[in-house]
Amino acid sequence: MIDLYILLALVVTGYVVGQFLEKRHYRSIYEREAELVAIPTTSSKRPIGPIPDQVRAQLVEGACVISVDYFKRFVAGLRQIFGGNVRSYETLVDRSRREAILRLKESCANADQIINLRIETSSITKGKRGQVGAIEIHAYATALYFYSQ
Amino acid sequence: MKYTPRLPERNSNVSHEHPLREFLVLVTGTVALFAVIFIGMGLLVDIAVRYIDPELEATLFSSFESNDVLVLNEQEQALQLLMDQLSSCMEIGYPVDIRIEASPHANAYAMPGGVVVVHSALLEQIKTENGLAFVLAHELAHYQNRDHLRGMGRSVVLLATSVVLTGAGSDVSSLLTPVFGAEIAQHSQSRESGADASALGALQCHYGHVGGATEFFALIAETGAAADWYLAHYFASHPQALQRIDDVNQTAISEGYQKGELQDLPSALRL
Repeated sequence: MIDLYILLALVVTGYVVGQFLEKRHYRSIYEREAELVAIPTTSSKRPIGPIPDQVRAQLVEGACVISVDYFKRFVAGLRQIFGGNVRSYETLVDRSRREAILRLKESCANADQIINLRIETSSITKGKRGQVGAIEIHAYATALYFYSQ
Repeated sequence: MKYTPRLPERNSNVSHEHPLREFLVLVTGTVALFAVIFIGMGLLVDIAVRYIDPELEATLFSSFESNDVLVLNEQEQALQLLMDQLSSCMEIGYPVDIRIEASPHANAYAMPGGVVVVHSALLEQIKTENGLAFVLAHELAHYQNRDHLRGMGRSVVLLATSVVLTGAGSDVSSLLTPVFGAEIAQHSQSRESGADASALGALQCHYGHVGGATEFFALIAETGAAADWYLAHYFASHPQALQRIDDVNQTAISEGYQKGELQDLPSALRL
């Protein structure tokens, strides 16, 4: 029985705290995305529009590690029985991806363009039993700084 | 091409459904799925038990001998004699042996393979032969009804279902094992009540009255062995002691059994 109480306590704590932190994180993401939206960012290898003669190109990167809460892990565990869309992990991946891109952009806030954006995902825990999963998202790109004559 | 910076209007990469809705749907589905499997397998266990005859049971469970056995031949022989007298009233169908095990908890239990284990504390604490006879008859009733095999079968089914479908030690099995453990305990409680009624009949047959039948439960109630925290009785396999005293008394009245003179525990049975 004690296992059930511990499980329920972890699930409830995971839900309450996890939802609070997720909402707070999304608020931060929306604000920072609005601030940095003006920097053209593409996955293309070529810049957008005409480019001046003098350009400085620089490798930039942003990474973040986000862990799943116990509630999400539990729901995903149940989902494994029936299959289907693992909705509880969607926000985890979405937040991580956007946070990594935001960190990348914040590292070159004065860049004129960011091109060649790539995103890599890796699991930290590799699904080991008894560990709460966490993922690392690594975004890297080329920041271009334009200089006029 | 003109670049116009703009954020997407809607995030299509995440589900906008409330997370608790998915949780409730999945928990309900999982519990329902397990309930169907578990109840179905439980019924199969009941059918399978009918085909396990005493010889096969003895062969299957021959390794279930208790390790911590006190060699007290005199007491064991006296207990065996009492139990044989009781079993002649009960039509058990196969031989049952007795063992005494050193333990500080007053208890007795029926092991698969036809061995009743009596804890030494029970012989130290119980005052009358009638009280002891009720406990022995109760354990014999489990053999009569094949309860030990049904109970063990259900536990094995629960463990196997949980491990096969969710993996040992997973979160989901931690949820399901107590939920269906409660079902097992409820099932076990009905078997215990049935065994009490059969034991009462054996007492009436052997002594001509049912005096002393509730001595063991009174002992449990006094020593606080019965759990009294809220909800605990749903999970306890033995109905709570006071409730069982009431039930035994009610059965005695409805069957027309009388209470008579109690016999002290013979010195041969004392430790």
